[in-house]
Amino acid sequence: METIGIFGLVFVMWLMILVVSFFLIVVVAPLHISIFHNMTDRYITSAIQAIFAIGIVIALISLLGKMKGRYLKNKLNFP
Amino acid sequence: MTPIIIIVSAAVISSISFLTVYFLMPWFIRYLIRKGRVVQDYHKSTRPSIPRPAGPILLLGIAISEIILYLLMPDIKTLAILLTTIIAFIVGFIDDLRVMPGWFKPAALVVAAIPIIVLGAHSNYLNLIFGDSYIPILYLALILAIIPIAGNTINSIDVLNGVATGIIIISSVPLLTSIAIFGDSETLLTALPMFFGAIAFYRYHKMPSKIFPGDSGTLLLGAMYGAVAIAGRSELIAVIALLPAVMNSFLFLSSVKKIVEHRNVKSRPTILTDDFKLVASRSKDAPSTLVRLIVAKGPLSEEQIVRRIFALAVFSSILALVTIAIQFYFVKL
Repeated sequence: METIGIFGLVFVMWLMILVVSFFLIVVVAPLHISIFHNMTDRYITSAIQAIFAIGIVIALISLLGKMKGRYLKNKLNFP
Repeated sequence: MTPIIIIVSAAVISSISFLTVYFLMPWFIRYLIRKGRVVQDYHKSTRPSIPRPAGPILLLGIAISEIILYLLMPDIKTLAILLTTIIAFIVGFIDDLRVMPGWFKPAALVVAAIPIIVLGAHSNYLNLIFGDSYIPILYLALILAIIPIAGNTINSIDVLNGVATGIIIISSVPLLTSIAIFGDSETLLTALPMFFGAIAFYRYHKMPSKIFPGDSGTLLLGAMYGAVAIAGRSELIAVIALLPAVMNSFLFLSSVKKIVEHRNVKSRPTILTDDFKLVASRSKDAPSTLVRLIVAKGPLSEEQIVRRIFALAVFSSILALVTIAIQFYFVKL
């Protein structure tokens, strides 16, 4: 029964990886900023895309940390 | 390259890697015992002395195969993956001979990533299942992170008899499948010595272990797994297939909050009972690990824990195969 809980954790991690990948491809990758109409726009777009991607990964990691905390609290009866 | 040449080359290099590890390991076990290079297996009632490290023979089997592959069909990816593997082995071997501080392995493994970048064995596109993302500069930084993470992930999961090798074998199945579908035949051939070398080594590493891989063995397997994933454009598939081990590293790092050697952690994640079963530590200071999660509700024997870890590895490999199917669907679109 305990292992089923860990299977669930692995499954949720997998779903989260897929959701993040989908978001990066469908939302972040097509982003295009057009301000100066020269190469500067390309750099700004890349920087914003990188910030988005890193932000999403950090959010994913912190969510996983919270999940781990709740799981341990639940199973080990931590206060 | 014709299919018949690929099949013959695959058969030759796989056999060489498997047979070298399989037949030289017993001799190496006797050699290590004679030299007194043994450690105690604390999870057994008799506390047997087990020789380590097996890394040199693993490397020998893989390196001979890769060199023959390179002579048969010269490809820069083969050379890059081999160099990465050798550097990771050296880093691990230094740690086998002398206990280094916690930062040493991750920092030194960054050097192992350099051959992939310098020899150009990578793509500029990151494969994100639903499409590719063109990130030429960011991808270089990713490579410098992937190799240390992959090496240390396999190193961290090497806590019970046979686990590190078993996980590499199970996780390699979806990785090789992904490379066969989305990668190229050269990278697929380069990955085979790792897979078959690990299968041969499992004969000696499985419970009860006759030899431990040591840091040299686990780091070379982990770094090679990461290098193959990069060269084969299957990074996310490799991560998904390795999720139980990734989860173990993540749990440990997020609870300890710094890079530290496992042996230097003051509070142990699990406690050994009088009947040689493992039970989760109730201490709040104890780091979280996969094994601690598995034994959270009650004590389990080492064999039971290993079986559960392998079940998790099979489950995550099935998820990786499902991901390959999803990617195949989107590529066809």
